[in-house]
Amino acid sequence: MLCAVSLFLGIVPLLASLADRVPGLLFGLPLVALASLIFAATHHEDPIEIRYATVHWMVWIGGILGVVLVAVVLLGWMV
Amino acid sequence: MPYPPQKTSAPKTGTPRIVAVSPDDGSAIDLRNPAVAAILSWCVPGLGQIYQGRTHKGRLFMAAILATFLVGLMLGGGKVVYVSWKPKEIRWAFVCQAGAGLMALPALIQSMHLNGVAHEPLWMNGFMTPPLTSGQYVSRAYADSLVQADPDIVSEDFFDKPPLRQFRGDQLSIWHRQLGRWFEVGTLYTMLAGMLNVLVIYDAWAGPLGTPTDEDRKKPKGNGTSPPLHL
Repeated sequence: MLCAVSLFLGIVPLLASLADRVPGLLFGLPLVALASLIFAATHHEDPIEIRYATVHWMVWIGGILGVVLVAVVLLGWMV
Repeated sequence: MPYPPQKTSAPKTGTPRIVAVSPDDGSAIDLRNPAVAAILSWCVPGLGQIYQGRTHKGRLFMAAILATFLVGLMLGGGKVVYVSWKPKEIRWAFVCQAGAGLMALPALIQSMHLNGVAHEPLWMNGFMTPPLTSGQYVSRAYADSLVQADPDIVSEDFFDKPPLRQFRGDQLSIWHRQLGRWFEVGTLYTMLAGMLNVLVIYDAWAGPLGTPTDEDRKKPKGNGTSPPLHL
């Protein structure tokens, strides 16, 4: 019980830090989508392939940036 | 999926055709005149692809990049795209924004007029005009229009130096105060639109980049990926 409470208390500030960055995330997501679309469209010619590749790139770019964001938030929280 | 280059018969006119190979089905993509296509794609994103007959991609690029640039301009209050090359204020962001092509051209015109003998921008509403720096001389008409249009600029911000007026404030600070984070967001959007258009220009010039598939990676390496073919 004590462990669960400690874990909860530890995660809440982290979530609050992330939520504080939501406006940045909100306006960053269209840029991730745009970059994914352009990367996909410059690598393919077929519209269906472009569609699949866009999703593929969004997962990659979003994932990489997400990991970086989490790392920055964690570092900021620890300091 | 392998995409061996397909041979096409040379046209009877004897003019060499420059084609690229589609990485999806191996079909030939006629690039027509790649240099013209690249220039067109710089002028208006996607126009080069439309010139080459790749209308779906052209429209996609046009819509995506134009929309991003215009949204960025709107978020930044029309102030985030400008040219400034003074020692106190070098606008490096314009180097990226210029990639969007003719949309960014008014900024160059405005800057040339403001910093030239006219001492006022061509379009007096301040669209894509660089911010005034401390000590900068402007025409009386432009100074008056700024005082009228901007509540944070008053006539006391100008020294009277007939026939001109000398600004003694820092307009960029005023913009940052007025727009807050939106100045940076708008700058980011317009910069990204310009930078991604560079990829579009390359696509118009050389065709799709194409990524090697797992089957291609297993094959022994020959001459590398297919460059544009001259037939």
